[in-house]
Amino acid sequence: MPRTPPRPARATPGSSPAYPAALSKESLVAGEIKALIVAGHRDVARERFAELVALQQRRAVRIAYHYLGDAHDADEAVQDAFVKVFVHITTYKEDLPFEVWFTRILVNGCLDLRKSRARRLRWSLPMTPTPEMVPNEPPAPDASPEERLVSSDRARQIAAAVEQLPERQRTVFTLCQIAEQSTNEVSQALGLSEATVRVHLFRAVRKLRRLLERET
Amino acid sequence: MMKAHSHLSDDQLLELCLGGDERPVAGCAACETRRADLAALLDEVSDAAACHADAAFPADRLARQQARILQRIEQDGRPGRIIAFPGHGQEAALLRDRPRARWIAAAAVAGLVIGLLAGHLQHDLLGRVSAPSVPAVRTTDAPDVPTLRAVSEDEFLDQIEMAADSPGPGTALRPLHDVTPRAWEVNEIVLNEIVYESAATIDEC
Repeated sequence: MPRTPPRPARATPGSSPAYPAALSKESLVAGEIKALIVAGHRDVARERFAELVALQQRRAVRIAYHYLGDAHDADEAVQDAFVKVFVHITTYKEDLPFEVWFTRILVNGCLDLRKSRARRLRWSLPMTPTPEMVPNEPPAPDASPEERLVSSDRARQIAAAVEQLPERQRTVFTLCQIAEQSTNEVSQALGLSEATVRVHLFRAVRKLRRLLERET
Repeated sequence: MMKAHSHLSDDQLLELCLGGDERPVAGCAACETRRADLAALLDEVSDAAACHADAAFPADRLARQQARILQRIEQDGRPGRIIAFPGHGQEAALLRDRPRARWIAAAAVAGLVIGLLAGHLQHDLLGRVSAPSVPAVRTTDAPDVPTLRAVSEDEFLDQIEMAADSPGPGTALRPLHDVTPRAWEVNEIVLNEIVYESAATIDEC
């Protein structure tokens, strides 16, 4: 399995850091967009917004995909979240990290989508997957190393194990481990205390470990 | 006094890993190995999960998504629903299977209607054939049906014996003939009843 470069150390659980003194690039761009909108330069703001989307898009897609488990729903959730950000950019407070504000909007959108999807499925017949059922995503014509990894059994096991986590644990795990946010940022994004986030994260990791060890 | 050596608990190890503390666990090779295993597992899970998402969203799909977002913003945030291509997911398959459910529901409704109609028809036919409606019909000019005399069993058998003893084959089955209603008479009665009911319906209208 290809190893990713080591992650930067996050805020130690338990320590209660304030936000970094220097705001992230995303936060600065968001502040500029807000100023442009307020000044009435909407077209310029839209152009700057493309830059903001590019900065956060990959991370947003990972969060939504692991939260929803479906690429089409994730696509929709990410689009909606970015559009909401632009529409409500004037309410953004520049002294807070943009990532936290955006994550909160995205997670709330994902939650709404999950609810509506559950409602839809409640009215349709349960169906067991059949062998002839097509996969969720068509395979890419030329598989990259990442795609080859996905096709491996281990990746499937891990994805299935993450899917088995309770909703809150999955959210916290996704934000901490996949979106690489600190427990403090996650607590801000979810409106939970940092201690609660840590408890959910520990439980999620413990459960994942158990599930994956059982399968190996 | 010697202090007993204790290993780190799973929670402590987890805290070390999640906190990104890279310092070695002092003085305990076993704890260090456990921490390395846990850290490797966490890295593996994170990498696999991220790769899974990245494979579902290759660069061209991200570019399309970005274009769509900007397009929606230009249209002042008008919502744009994504319609999944049929057959590209379980939900699509569920929708594909829904006609089956509709057929089942339609068959159930059809069965119910047929059952109700059959019940009504059976009830009507039995009602027409049964005796209570006959006296009303008899007010018309239908021929009289011979009334049955109450005859005891012994009397009846005596009559048969007498008839059998008497000469002439035509009289032998006379008692049986008397107690049996004739088919053409019954048909006429039913026909008259239908005519009578139709006339009554027309009058009501």
